[in-house]
Amino acid sequence: MDAGIEEHLAAGRHARAFDLLVPAFQDRVFRLAYSILRDRAAAEDAAQETFVRVWKALPRFDGRAALGTWIYAITRNTCLMELRRRRPTVSFDDPESTEAMHAAADIATGPAGDPERDNLLRLVDTLPRNQQEAVRLFYLEDRSYEAVAEQLGMPLGTVKNLLHRARKRLMELAGPVEVKAA
Amino acid sequence: MNDVNLLPPCAEFEFDLVDLRDGALGPDRARAVRAHVHACARCRGWLESFAALDAHLAEHLPRPALSSDFAARLEARLSAATRRAPASELLAAEDDEYSRLLAALRRNARRNAVLGGIAVAAVAAGGILLTPALLTATGSLLGSLPAQERAIGLGSAGAMIAIAALAWSALQGALPMIRGRA
Repeated sequence: MDAGIEEHLAAGRHARAFDLLVPAFQDRVFRLAYSILRDRAAAEDAAQETFVRVWKALPRFDGRAALGTWIYAITRNTCLMELRRRRPTVSFDDPESTEAMHAAADIATGPAGDPERDNLLRLVDTLPRNQQEAVRLFYLEDRSYEAVAEQLGMPLGTVKNLLHRARKRLMELAGPVEVKAA
Repeated sequence: MNDVNLLPPCAEFEFDLVDLRDGALGPDRARAVRAHVHACARCRGWLESFAALDAHLAEHLPRPALSSDFAARLEARLSAATRRAPASELLAAEDDEYSRLLAALRRNARRNAVLGGIAVAAVAAGGILLTPALLTATGSLLGSLPAQERAIGLGSAGAMIAIAALAWSALQGALPMIRGRA
């Protein structure tokens, strides 16, 4: 956690701490929300809602968990509530469930027009929801296992295993992939 | 991709190949894995295919960014949630409430005036209708009285009827100038 934020929190200067934590966390909160919701506008709304909740709850933050862990948990809950609002049948207990897999399948992913890209995104959409989130976040976070583990609230080994299974599955689904020069 | 690429890698090197691509191996282990890849066509083909998929994902997965006005919108949202209503809004609200109160009072006064008018008219009509009968019924009594006392009696009766009508009208609010405060 940023030392300045920590000091302000310890001193009870919550407004000042909040002023510092927003720029420190806004991009990662947004990327995490995007990896779950797969829609830029929805992710931005979720990020806004996350910080409103953080602002309200900051005086009750007791520091038992890392500030980032706490903020990312709020972000995930905000996004899951949004998914639940869209599809009341989304199961949070079973991330492999069909409903969970396809909870956000109808969310736009960007402009069409590149068949190779569209095919790849369709393949990613076929992965279980937790693998999709890990894959999206991994590349959004410039291939940082640690960042993905922290934001998804998972042990590092679990994240590596998720990513390995996801990419292995994508290799099977994609078939021959042309090797690009580095 | 050729047929060799479709074969799985050596089981003991599978995770190492991924870590090699992700840059997550220590230098000694990375050197050993590269030596194995150099000698093993299956692992080499699998690693090439994995690297191609990795490059595709990095290139094609959407990488949205936060809007430039994210922080400003968040600040506005938090301000709206916390600020007290400005004086102009409070004055406008008071004016509105005062106007609604005046309108209600006017409606009430009009209704009372109509009711009071009806009541006065009814009393007057009743008096006109009943006076001959009363005079007939009390004729013998009045006839036995001296002229001066008869005039006083009739005047007193008329005054009592008029006072009763005024009092009743005042109670109904038809005469607001003498109506008591609510």
